[in-house]
Amino acid sequence: MRRFWDGLRRRLRAAREIYEGLYVAPYRSLIYREYRREQDLFLIAGFSDLLGAPNPVAFYTLELYPELIEQFHAWHLRMGMPQAPEGGFRCC
Amino acid sequence: MAPADGNASGPGGGIPLLLSALPAGTRPVADVLLRRPLLFFGGKGGVGKTTLAAAVAIRSAGSGQRTLLVSTDPAHSVGDALGLRLGNAASSVLPGLWALEIDPAEEADRYIAGVKARLAEVTPPRLAAEVERQIDIARVSPGAEEAALFDRFTRLMDEAGAGYDRVVFDTAPLGHTLRLLALPEQLQLWIRGLIGRRKQVNVLGRMWRNVAGAAAGDTRTDDPVLTALEERRERFERARAALTDAARAAFVFVVTPERLAIFETERAARTLERYGIPVGAVLVNRVLPAGATGPFAERRRAEESPHLDEIRRRFAALALLGVPDLARDVQGVDDLRRLGSELFAAMPR
Repeated sequence: MRRFWDGLRRRLRAAREIYEGLYVAPYRSLIYREYRREQDLFLIAGFSDLLGAPNPVAFYTLELYPELIEQFHAWHLRMGMPQAPEGGFRCC
Repeated sequence: MAPADGNASGPGGGIPLLLSALPAGTRPVADVLLRRPLLFFGGKGGVGKTTLAAAVAIRSAGSGQRTLLVSTDPAHSVGDALGLRLGNAASSVLPGLWALEIDPAEEADRYIAGVKARLAEVTPPRLAAEVERQIDIARVSPGAEEAALFDRFTRLMDEAGAGYDRVVFDTAPLGHTLRLLALPEQLQLWIRGLIGRRKQVNVLGRMWRNVAGAAAGDTRTDDPVLTALEERRERFERARAALTDAARAAFVFVVTPERLAIFETERAARTLERYGIPVGAVLVNRVLPAGATGPFAERRRAEESPHLDEIRRRFAALALLGVPDLARDVQGVDDLRRLGSELFAAMPR
């Protein structure tokens, strides 16, 4: 009896892994990409002055920088810049 | 010839002169000057804003209201008028009266120091010097001190009805002040946009954590970035709401019977109207007293009279109050107190 339940549990777990691999994983990466895209958009909106576009609230978004420094680092790496762009904030 | 109809002054040209009948529906000037929690004195440079703002603030304190007199003009003169050395923090002037002169440089430095302290907690030590250098660049960038001044301005507006009963602002000459008063509306739009974006980030962050489970790593649900943005948006909104609330705030123009001062003030009045900021009264400073006689006084009066007519015509919808040119200097707390008593003793109710 006990072997029967163990076997069932194993099979259910395998089925779930297949299901996740087929359906959830692509969905998960889609969400992750969207999440990252929104984070990038927020950085651009809040720190557009670093890209040379005027930002009337640049002085006020400065205080957000400590919270966002890691994201900024991840962003410039993803954009193919091994070092933080010149003229903008430094993180590495 | 009396310079004004409805002249409430006695012989010798005491203070003040009501320059025209109060337009229907206007509040008595004394009520505006002594009751509105927020008062802004503005006008062209050199018309006597600071003197009248200080006299009114002293009177206000004398009537038992905890009053804070604030100078927003980067070229401060409130300290000079009171004969005191003032700084960026409130100093006590008299029982019930405090005064300060906003120091944009000190405000910006304090803000930058706060950002640096937070950064020191999150940056790896090897980057600290570089990050600090970048922040110092932001400190000297154009607009930094204006932004810091504005931030302090909105915080001080919050003080009316909180730490103090009233806050009386002696503002910079008009151009600078109009910009300061327009900022809440303009910056609010920008900050609202940022908040919308940030909320979108957080929505996706929640979705990501739901599908990724433990793999998402970050389990923090409160967002300090959103909190900071919301705090500023709310403060700017409060500032904007207070500025446009005729029960709480009034702008008081000080003008002299001179062409250029009249033109500039009228333009400013129109701008304020566009922003929805209520104008409580126009104080016409340095009007030739009724009692002044002799050939010199007569010639001056002949020059002044068309300017006064012009003021009546252009500011017909506002309460106009003349303040006679005084034979004496007004300098220091005692002089200002005397001016304030004279001003209010003769003020039409």
